[in-house]
Amino acid sequence: MKPLLLALLLAGGASAHRLDEYLQATLIGPARNGIDVEIQLTPGVAMLPAFLAIVDQSGGPQAYAARASRDVELRIDGAPAPLSLVESAFPTIEAMREGLGTIRLKLHTSRTGHRVRFENRHLPELSVYLVNCLAAPSLVVTGQRRDVAQRSIEFTYSFPPGPLWPAAAGTLLTALLAFRWRRSWGRRFRLPTKPSASSAVASISAPESKSYPNTGCFRSHPPRS
Amino acid sequence: MLKPAIGFVAAVLCCGLASAQSSSTVGRIVAGANGFLASLDDAQRSKVLFDFTDAVQRVKWSNLPTTMVRAGLKMGDLSASQKKAAMDLLAAALSKRGYEKVLAIVEGDEALKNASGGRGPAMFGRDLFYISFLGKPSVKDPWMLQFGGHHLALNLTIVGADGILTPSLTAAQPAKYTVDGKTVRPLGAENDKAFALVNALDQAQRKQAVLNYKVADLVLGPGQDGKTIQPEGLKCSAMNPTQQAMLVDLIGEWAGIVNDQAAAVRMADIKSNLSATWFAWSGPTTNGSPAYYRIQGPTLVIEYAPQPLGGDPTMHIHTIYRDPTNDYGKKSTSRK
Repeated sequence: MKPLLLALLLAGGASAHRLDEYLQATLIGPARNGIDVEIQLTPGVAMLPAFLAIVDQSGGPQAYAARASRDVELRIDGAPAPLSLVESAFPTIEAMREGLGTIRLKLHTSRTGHRVRFENRHLPELSVYLVNCLAAPSLVVTGQRRDVAQRSIEFTYSFPPGPLWPAAAGTLLTALLAFRWRRSWGRRFRLPTKPSASSAVASISAPESKSYPNTGCFRSHPPRS
Repeated sequence: MLKPAIGFVAAVLCCGLASAQSSSTVGRIVAGANGFLASLDDAQRSKVLFDFTDAVQRVKWSNLPTTMVRAGLKMGDLSASQKKAAMDLLAAALSKRGYEKVLAIVEGDEALKNASGGRGPAMFGRDLFYISFLGKPSVKDPWMLQFGGHHLALNLTIVGADGILTPSLTAAQPAKYTVDGKTVRPLGAENDKAFALVNALDQAQRKQAVLNYKVADLVLGPGQDGKTIQPEGLKCSAMNPTQQAMLVDLIGEWAGIVNDQAAAVRMADIKSNLSATWFAWSGPTTNGSPAYYRIQGPTLVIEYAPQPLGGDPTMHIHTIYRDPTNDYGKKSTSRK
């Protein structure tokens, strides 16, 4: 019998924590200057001995973080996009024993494109996975597809040009003023009584759908007080 | 000439009445908070009060039992009269059904303690729930009431007449238990109404709503403040009015936990964004099966996730309720 399975059987009872699974939750944050990837790794309390052995075999926490980073692959527009490990944070073993321990890895690539494919091949025999794409202002994501276990995700993203209405409104307003100036040359300038060009353009260009609030993968989010 | 004047007076009266009603609700909550604080000695008060800007305490909540260290006052350390004052405060801050839901979750943890033995008494039970305040209770200035423990985290930010209950976590283990022969299901409505909705969808709608992958846990649970994911599933604008009403009713299981006054404001906001709200489902659609679902709109995230943690997942449920634009009342406090 595998040691891990034995540990699971011994665990038993009511559980408040993840037990026999290694939860690997990934959030992918496309940005204009690259793509951020945050991976949160939570070992179940019953698999902790096996997990710590893996960390030791890897050469310690930092080496393990590097290994986990190598086990994920990001492709942009079909080409591999190398991910740099930007930051890693390990909980204490005591915290992991209590089921509180989450390892956080932050990775980044400066590559950009449109079609993204991410796959996590890290410890598949022990793990359950979550993978999601973050929302951000003006980010448009379509065609999300995952495998059943959420080890991989594909999607298309873009940052459409910002709304043109401020520039268009300025141009129209300038043109309108110039037109009126020519017509009323020598007469007193009067304000238009119809809705202004800017409001008309704004109403035409109002976004069709409501935007989702942002986020940002690696930003810390202290609540505003 | 007279009609506009009458309309104006009626509008002013309505606004006045609504304002008076909301201020009386907040007044009751503040009175309850001050009553509880007055029942404490100095040492207890120093443990329960935090600065409103205390960013560490604000986010110190979890689904986990007391192995996750909480701050504030533990219910088990309070006298009977102090406990009553604390529960009276909760009753004032929440709706009747919200308060009953909270009691059912707390008593569920007591049932778990009794069923667990071993580490049960040290980890679970009604005595291991904590109360804390960020800021001084006020009808005008922002403050926050936190109440939580294993499987419960209520974060209620009060800013004048506004009452914001996001982010909050409700959960249940066991999801069904009996007290004096009566069956209690703390999150039973959240389960049953969701299954009713998914089964009210036609084949094409269900194809949109049901995701083709497993969801093992909450995506935006504790520790995920400020994040929003891309919505998926069936957009509410593709539902018929009956289905939309079912969705609104389901959302009310979370939005209606807070007192009726604050809940009405919240529900109006959610309804105004309904067409841009999504409903996603993962798992079987037969009631009684473990299935995950998510409701996500511009100002709303709800997740319901059965937990396969060494037992029947349908008996162990975690849920999260967020407003990504106003968690911890950040929108309301920034207006102050």
